[in-house]
Amino acid sequence: MNNISTYPIISAEGINFAFGQGELRKQILFDIEFEIQPGEVVLLMGPSGSGKTTLLTLIAGLRTLQEGRLNVLGHSLSGASQAELLVLRRKIGFIFQAHNLLPYLTALQNVQVMFDLHPEVTPVEGRDRASRLLQQVGLGERLHYHISRLSGGQRQRVAVARALVGNPQIVLADEPTAALDGASGREVVNLLQALAREQNRPILMVTHDARVVDIADRILHMQDGRLTNNSRDSSPLTSLAMNSETST
Amino acid sequence: MSQRIPLAWLQLRHEKMKLFAAVSGVMVSVVLMWMQLGLLQALFASAVEFHGSVNGELIVIHGQYEYLLRNQPFSSRLLHRVLGSPHVQEIYSIYAAPVEWKNPWNGERRTIQCYGIDTDKPAINLPMLDSQLAVLRQTDAFLYDRKARPGFGPVLEESAKGTLIEPEINRRKMTLKGLTEIGASFGVDGNIIVSHANFLRLVSDRASGEIDFGVIKLRPGADVVEMQSQVQAILGKEVNVLTRDELCERELLYWRRATPIGIVFSTGTFVGFFIGFIVVYQILYTDVTTHLPHFATMKAMGFSNGYLFRMVLSQSLQLAMLGFVPGSIIAGILYAGLRSATLLPLRLELSRGIFLLAATILMCVISGTLAIRKLRTADPADVF
Repeated sequence: MNNISTYPIISAEGINFAFGQGELRKQILFDIEFEIQPGEVVLLMGPSGSGKTTLLTLIAGLRTLQEGRLNVLGHSLSGASQAELLVLRRKIGFIFQAHNLLPYLTALQNVQVMFDLHPEVTPVEGRDRASRLLQQVGLGERLHYHISRLSGGQRQRVAVARALVGNPQIVLADEPTAALDGASGREVVNLLQALAREQNRPILMVTHDARVVDIADRILHMQDGRLTNNSRDSSPLTSLAMNSETST
Repeated sequence: MSQRIPLAWLQLRHEKMKLFAAVSGVMVSVVLMWMQLGLLQALFASAVEFHGSVNGELIVIHGQYEYLLRNQPFSSRLLHRVLGSPHVQEIYSIYAAPVEWKNPWNGERRTIQCYGIDTDKPAINLPMLDSQLAVLRQTDAFLYDRKARPGFGPVLEESAKGTLIEPEINRRKMTLKGLTEIGASFGVDGNIIVSHANFLRLVSDRASGEIDFGVIKLRPGADVVEMQSQVQAILGKEVNVLTRDELCERELLYWRRATPIGIVFSTGTFVGFFIGFIVVYQILYTDVTTHLPHFATMKAMGFSNGYLFRMVLSQSLQLAMLGFVPGSIIAGILYAGLRSATLLPLRLELSRGIFLLAATILMCVISGTLAIRKLRTADPADVF
């Protein structure tokens, strides 16, 4: 798994996507085009219903691509088989809006279980890596706590560890701070950014939390299913400026 | 802990009450199956207790033998024809007939099965028989079946005290000289053993030499199947020559046809199976349903359908094992209780155990497989 690559991690071109058929057909995404380069932290922002999450599920191979070209981590997603999509998803670190941890496992087990997807890692090594990562997110004292005994912020930090433990080539995060208060949200995002930076992992994060925009290298804005700033000429600075104007 | 995480078990264990309910369901089902099959087998086994104790490779019965209580005697002279064969070591004769026992304590009359054996060569393996052959030769002596049903009077208690027991059997005063063990069955409440001479005294309408069972003991190394057809050819069509297993099978065939016992208990066994199946299916189905979001999350993260299927399947196997072991222990306890209450030969047989374990596993795997279908509805796209 070599993360240093010259081609874009994600490249999208001419993506259209609709739910439903015939009369009930409702188009969600219009002519989406963007690229994400290795190591980039990109925020995908926009109002509810603008199509952010749908785009994220397409990238993650959770929905079938209808129109356009989408390349993720070297996999072409048009006409990809379920087996191929599964291989792709194993290279992605997922962070969900709700932590989506398994409630019957401890913090450590929740992270460790990811190595069932990586049989090349021995159970002992997997356990070591999982507990080291949990120490890094500040949960070294709570390795054996069940999820029900952790606070919301702590749970999301376990989720961060779980997303990163398999050395993913990209992290996809869907509003990871939505269920958290400001301070915990900040903490989670900082951790995510620090760990991703350390390993040079790109992050694509859907959010409408204006408090976290400062971690982004670049921001994609979405409105009514269209990207309003083309990725090629949007610099983080202009994005930030735009955002600070709109967010107040 | 250096192994992989036992995910299936941890999920199953998470809700203790549900686990308890599921295990109880499997347990009840296992107990039911043990009981039904055990009773069925014990009832059948009791019907061939005598036949199975006959000591010889080949057994000759009349061609119209239906079962123990509906039989025709044949002449023992026929048997002598086979003595010329170099492979025949010895022939034996056994008389059998139901006789009327008058309970010496209350005067009630009951039918008891009487076997007349050759006291020089008894041809039958019964507990404590060999040491009592000498007393059995005395006029009007008999041995009493200590596994006879009650109803013949407090024979065992009184004989243990040393009381002289002299019941009227077929209106003839007989003397109890000792005990042996055969056991009651469907058609027979108890048994007595007498000598040939005493049998003919008791059963006055039976001519000497008109026997019910002829037993042929072969020399070591003789081919039983080969000899069976040879002997059958020598003896002719009036009689049937069977191996001991065939004789037992024939007796059982009668009971299977004549009584609904087989159907009753097989149905009972199936009901047990079905109860277990329904309980395990319900539990696994609701379990999959409650954990559907977690399964969806796992699918999104790259866990394959196969991985999740195996998870639910191992849960069903875990339930099978958790229910089977205590269920079998409970069945063993119930067997012991029933054994002393009914005198039926109930045994936790290994072969039945293996069969039931297989049935339990099958039951859980079917339930698991059906519950798994629900897994397909876990849509990983819903987790975002």
